[in-house]
This record gives sequence, structure tokens and C-alpha cells, in this order.
Amino acid sequence: MAHSWQPDFEQLVDEHQSMVYSLALRMTGDRGLAEEIAQDVFLELDRHLARIESPLHALHWLRRVAMSRSADALRRRKVRGMDLWVELSDGHGASAEERESPVGVRLEQLLTTLPQPLRAALLLRYQEDLTPEEIAATLDTPLATVKSNLQRGLKLLRAKAADYLKEYVRVKEQARGV
Amino acid sequence: MDEIERNQFERELTHSLERRPAPPSLARNLMERRSRQRAEHLHFRRVLWQRLAAGMVLASLLGGGFAWHHREQQRKGEAARQQVLTALRITSHALNQMKTQLAEHDRDQQE
Repeated sequence: MAHSWQPDFEQLVDEHQSMVYSLALRMTGDRGLAEEIAQDVFLELDRHLARIESPLHALHWLRRVAMSRSADALRRRKVRGMDLWVELSDGHGASAEERESPVGVRLEQLLTTLPQPLRAALLLRYQEDLTPEEIAATLDTPLATVKSNLQRGLKLLRAKAADYLKEYVRVKEQARGV
Repeated sequence: MDEIERNQFERELTHSLERRPAPPSLARNLMERRSRQRAEHLHFRRVLWQRLAAGMVLASLLGGGFAWHHREQQRKGEAARQQVLTALRITSHALNQMKTQLAEHDRDQQE
């Protein structure tokens, strides 16, 4: 199909590298692997550039391929939750405000300990601000499964955050000699 | 979980899941890989065309050689046929002469 939009590869990289990298990083928890995945995704985009019809199409395509490549990489590398925790703990790119909030900082790390389908759904919902319908389309998953994954993921993450917060308060109180 | 608490948790989650800036090395390494892949692709295409051209030249040489050999065989066959025909003509001529001489000889004896 003929389309008037002429994609500029370098501009697309510039606009979407943060999105692709963040998805890959939060899915895999490994910075090196995330960068490699992001590069692979953009190189694949370069090969498919003629078929991209609009900026919105490029955005959806990049999201879908980034999630799919991250899942493939996880299957290959079998990265464990604890490794992810260590990788993400140096707060690369985190704002000062985030670093001040004990739960805020840990939520991202706790997210990496969730099962992959729950993590993927939460990531697209809260990082990319997608609706459950859009998430279902991106992950090629039934809508009911996405809604269930979102609910279960939130519940699990909240429970983990509450445990963490209790431990955080206990340690702080001990340090103060209470 | 009550609604307010849940909304607050979701806000906190949205806040902590803001997109992270990609490392500067990503775009640089990506462009390097892209250039390298393009160069490899060009090299591959060049080698492919060279091999294709070499194959076509070889096929032409073999075809030409075969055609030349075929024509040479035909020419030799034709020359041999002409030689045989010439030999037959000479033989026929000699036999006719001999037949005439014998006829003359018979006539002389009868006289």
C-alpha cells in the first residue's frame, strides 16, 4: 500500500530509543542485554522501514518487537530475579525525587521479580500508559488474560512492596535505636 | 485494598516506571552496527554478482567450446564424405575406362 510518510531512521532512533531501552531493561533487568536488544530491534526496524506507514505505526511496531525480543532473550538467557535486582540497583537514570522515596526506588526492582507475563502487562500499563486492549494487541494475548495479569501483578507487587516497606521501617528504627 | 490506597500505589508505580534515558553508547553502537551490516551486505552482493558473472563466463566458454567442437566434427564428417565421394568418382571413372578398353579389346579379337 502506498503511503506518503517517509521514515527517517535516525530520527526514529532518537525519538524511541528511551522507550525501547526501558522496556528491554525492565523486562530483562540486564543493562548490557537491554542495549543489545534495543540495537537488534532498531536494526530490524531498519530492514522493515519500507513497510512502516506512519509515526504511530512505528511506535506500535517498536513496542511489540521490543517486548517480543525481550521475551526471546529471557527464554534464552533464563535470567533470574535476583540477578535483575543487582543489575537495576544502581539507579541509572532515576530522578533525585525517586531516590528519596524508599518504595518508589524499589518498585522498579520488585517489578523484575514478578513472573514475566505479569511484568510485561504492568510495564506496558504503567510505563507506556497503554489500555488493556492495547496491551492485548501488543502482546498478542487475549484481553481477559491481560486484565487478569494486571490484577495479579498489581496485587503481587503491592504485597512485595508492603513487605519491603515493613523491613525498611524496621531497619530504620533499629538504626535509630528504637 | 481500598480505592484511594490503590490509586496512590498506581501513581507511585507510574512514577517509578518513567522511561529511562538510553545510554549514549546505544545510538552510537547501533549506527556502527548498521554501517557494518550495510557494508557486509554490499560486499556480499558484490561477491554474489562476481560469482554470477564468473559462472556466466564459464558457462559461455563451455557452451562455445561445445558448439565449436560440434561444428568441427560436422566439418570433418563433411570433408570425409566429400573424400569418399571423390574416391568413388575416381573409381567409377577408372572402371568405366577399363570397361571401354575391355570392350575395344573384345571387338579387336572378334575382328
